[in-house]
Amino acid sequence: MARFFQALVLAILLLANTTTPASQPVVVSSKLSSESAMIGQMIRLLLEAHGIPTVDRMAIGATPIVRKALLSGEIDLYVEYTGNAGFFFNRPDDPAWKDLQRGYDLGARLDLEANRIVWLAPAAASNSWALAVRRDVAKQNRLATMSDFARWVREGGEVILACSAEFANAGTLKSLEKTYAFHLEPRQKIVLAGGETAATIGAAAARTNGINTAMVYGTDGGIVAADLVLLEDDKHDQPVYAPVPIVREAVLKARPEIAGIVRPLMESFTRESLQALNARVQIDGESSEAVAGDYLRATGFIRPAAGR
Amino acid sequence: MQRIDRLGALLSLVAACALALAPLVVLKANRIVPGQPQALLDVLPAWTVLLLYGVLATAATVALRVQAPRVRLVVALTGMITLALAVATAANDLTPEGNRVLRVAPGAGFWIVMIALGLLATDALTRLKPGPLLRVVILVVVLAALLAALGSGFFDDLSIMREYAVNATRFAREARQHLMLALGSLAAAVMVALPLGVFCHRQPRLKAAVLGTLNFVQTIPSIALFGILMAPLAALAAAWPALASIGVSGIGTAPAAIALFLYSLLPIVGNTVVGLARVSPATVDAAHGMGLTDWQTLRQVELPLALPTILTGIRIVLVQNIGLVTIAALIGGGGFGTFVFQGIGQTAIDLVLLGAIPVVVLAFSASVVLDAIADLTRRVPR
Repeated sequence: MARFFQALVLAILLLANTTTPASQPVVVSSKLSSESAMIGQMIRLLLEAHGIPTVDRMAIGATPIVRKALLSGEIDLYVEYTGNAGFFFNRPDDPAWKDLQRGYDLGARLDLEANRIVWLAPAAASNSWALAVRRDVAKQNRLATMSDFARWVREGGEVILACSAEFANAGTLKSLEKTYAFHLEPRQKIVLAGGETAATIGAAAARTNGINTAMVYGTDGGIVAADLVLLEDDKHDQPVYAPVPIVREAVLKARPEIAGIVRPLMESFTRESLQALNARVQIDGESSEAVAGDYLRATGFIRPAAGR
Repeated sequence: MQRIDRLGALLSLVAACALALAPLVVLKANRIVPGQPQALLDVLPAWTVLLLYGVLATAATVALRVQAPRVRLVVALTGMITLALAVATAANDLTPEGNRVLRVAPGAGFWIVMIALGLLATDALTRLKPGPLLRVVILVVVLAALLAALGSGFFDDLSIMREYAVNATRFAREARQHLMLALGSLAAAVMVALPLGVFCHRQPRLKAAVLGTLNFVQTIPSIALFGILMAPLAALAAAWPALASIGVSGIGTAPAAIALFLYSLLPIVGNTVVGLARVSPATVDAAHGMGLTDWQTLRQVELPLALPTILTGIRIVLVQNIGLVTIAALIGGGGFGTFVFQGIGQTAIDLVLLGAIPVVVLAFSASVVLDAIADLTRRVPR
């Protein structure tokens, strides 16, 4: 019996070793969120269109899982967010994260030094925490930026904010209050269990309990659909969370062309275009792969004939 | 005077309350907003609504007054089919041609009445006492009918089917992964647990230690066990790249399969021990007296007699595993849980149901099939 198992293990090991790294497809992965899966699919389809074989392993888990998978070499590439590096390298208070370029440079350097992971070109759109107000409220009170919002609150504006416990109690809201010099009373903050932005956006759209302001992500697909207005973080208080594809250095060395293929795609994104694309997945329920393919064809990254 | 059936009274009451208070059909502007209840009369022609309520009223009357199980079964099934058709027709009528955003979902009323009718049908079936083979045949027929109905396209405008249409390719992949994880860990567990159970039976001193350890494993919450396994497996894979190349890693299939395997051990070992203990010592003595060796006695006498109990343990494990695999999606293990957790993240309840309903159907089917097998071994002792 023992000999049988020895033979079995040996056979499996031999079998596994016959595949050479050069011929191996690029394993493209993503977090659970629909945006990361969608951008992941775009990258995957684009690589395929350039003749690079890929494996689709989208939505394998939350950030720690995907990150661990990349570090252990189980996946080769996924879309991270620049500001997250502050948590990976245990320096969340570094002011560099509040600036796209500086945050990108710092994160890219740390990740390459520590983990031999290369950061490709980031998108010029931030998915950071933000506040969004109902369009009618924004119009009535001329709200476009967080400074406008702070002025409105100080003048006694009837703000009711829906947010997660994390947002209200951890640093985010306090930091906004400090930077823009305003203060929300406890009765103006309604904490929703679970704290998904879909829930806060839904509450503002439906005016549940008088809620007119919602905690959102910058590129949230629900903002447009729920007719909310995103307030500009005009004093750059929040860390920038720009989508950035990250790849194992070994994989990039085997296929250096990946960097050049992905760059124009990432540079094509704006906050508005990501919001609209996210809305198609989150609100209309289209598959992230279909939306990704549509975008690549519509923007000419792949020729219509080369699509699915 | 005829007595009123108690189960029938309860089910009729629940269904009536559901119909009065909860909507059968809900219309949503898109897939993540809460829906608005729709009155069936606004959507469907009056005669259809009358027919539906007629069928449901008949079902209630039969449930209250008629004892014959066949009649109860037929009435319950008719009710379920009519209700499903009515809601699907409403969905077809409410959805404008080519609209991909609007969602028509079955409301709470639909689910409650459906469950009440389902319980009525199950109760009638139980009263009919079908044999094990017939039960499996009935299951296959029902599943085939369900698949044919869903495949016909008539239900395509219902919200869950819309989610399915978007995720069809991934659905097949996750289904395979789900089954592979559930069945693979079961197979591995049977290979280990059966000998372990026999060993425990023969060595009572070891029994306490083994069962105690397995009991402890069983009490670890599943998500915690998945988490605990991540670190050592990742370390293993890092230390021996050969292991990593055969798929051992901190996330994905490996930790999920190992956790499920560990959870599978206790019910099988426990039931093997109990099953073997139930074989009367006189029988074992007689076997020895006839000149059978220990091994022959085990193989030809003890194990066959203990088999129904062991199979019950295996049934528990399979049903438990099918449910637990759902959590594996959180550590990259795939399976139907992927839809559940993506749905929760997007607050798209239909996507959650797309993951949850197949799990329930799978677990139920596995339970029926293994029950039937256990019954068969009980009837024909070799």
